[in-house]
Amino acid sequence: MNGSAEQSPAPAGDFLKKTPDGPVISADGIRRLALIRKCREREVMTELLRQDIWPERFSRCRGTLSAQSLVRLLSIKVLVAGCGGLGGYVAEFLARTGVGALTLCDPDSFEESNLNRQRFCTERTLGMAKAEACRNGILDIASYMDVTVHIEALDEKNLPVLLSGVDVVMDCLDSLARKKMLETAAAHAGVPCVQGSVARNEGLVFFDGSRRLPFSIIYPDEETGNLEGASMHTHAVTAAGTAALMVSLLLRRLCHDKNDDGRLFHLDLSVPELETLCFSAGD
Amino acid sequence: MSRAGPLLPMSVQIKLSTTLRDCVPGYVPETGLFIDLAEGEATLTAGELAQRIGLPLEEIKIVMINSRQNDLASPVRNGDRVAYFPAVGGG
Repeated sequence: MNGSAEQSPAPAGDFLKKTPDGPVISADGIRRLALIRKCREREVMTELLRQDIWPERFSRCRGTLSAQSLVRLLSIKVLVAGCGGLGGYVAEFLARTGVGALTLCDPDSFEESNLNRQRFCTERTLGMAKAEACRNGILDIASYMDVTVHIEALDEKNLPVLLSGVDVVMDCLDSLARKKMLETAAAHAGVPCVQGSVARNEGLVFFDGSRRLPFSIIYPDEETGNLEGASMHTHAVTAAGTAALMVSLLLRRLCHDKNDDGRLFHLDLSVPELETLCFSAGD
Repeated sequence: MSRAGPLLPMSVQIKLSTTLRDCVPGYVPETGLFIDLAEGEATLTAGELAQRIGLPLEEIKIVMINSRQNDLASPVRNGDRVAYFPAVGGG
């Protein structure tokens, strides 16, 4: 990247724009550099960020993220389990924040009753697989991302494959039984898991990296049943707010080295308030 | 006896989550409920308190007393803030 003009026929400088905050490079400039240098766009972005040259798309993140944090986000792969109410917003927030690769998993297709809250459900995508529509939406935002789609329910057979090579899981599932299964599989694979749930105007979120099984601590009863019915009764504001909280906890851990082990965040938008609770086992 | 507030030294504040609110007609999310403990009633359990306001115990999955996880057998004292949650698993 810093080679001579002979080695590099199109130095990055040709594509840079000056701003009061420092030099930035447009998405088109990144694409052209990647083509010329026969590398991936994320590699171009990473190399430029190391020189504190920001992709223009992330320039307004300055002050909230460091260039080093953004480099880290571009390098990680996140499994988004469930692409409905929470998962659609989570995937969007991850894409807009700079995460480089997503695996999207959901067995369902969009129905009309999803229009009230699910990020990529539109009149045009009704009937389309949620994970597929989510991928299309994500690539519209950030075409350089690696996005793979699995139109299938998580189970004990496919989880080890889906978790392979994943840095973080975002649990956006709508069944406590499957959440517990995912938590156990992720802990077994050593993959940290951000967990979120919604009902009505409220969301519960936690990110415990201690290798405990927080879901099993919070819900010690074995028989939690399937709560898909309950998940239908919420709206876009709660889904988006809870998803934002999930991504915030991820960023706190990855980019700011903050530890939220043992903390359960309760968002109640009917008040509105955000309460921090402590779950007990292992304290 | 329950009332809308405020929290007095001889009362317990109760907050309810999602569907548990349906069990208490007129529940106000901003303030919750306040239960005045009877004189000499130093403690009662979170389960007894829940029954007193008509919550079905089988629907209570999480009990928080003063923002820390407890259970239905945990004692509740005057001045405590008790929050009851059903299972919340929507996605």
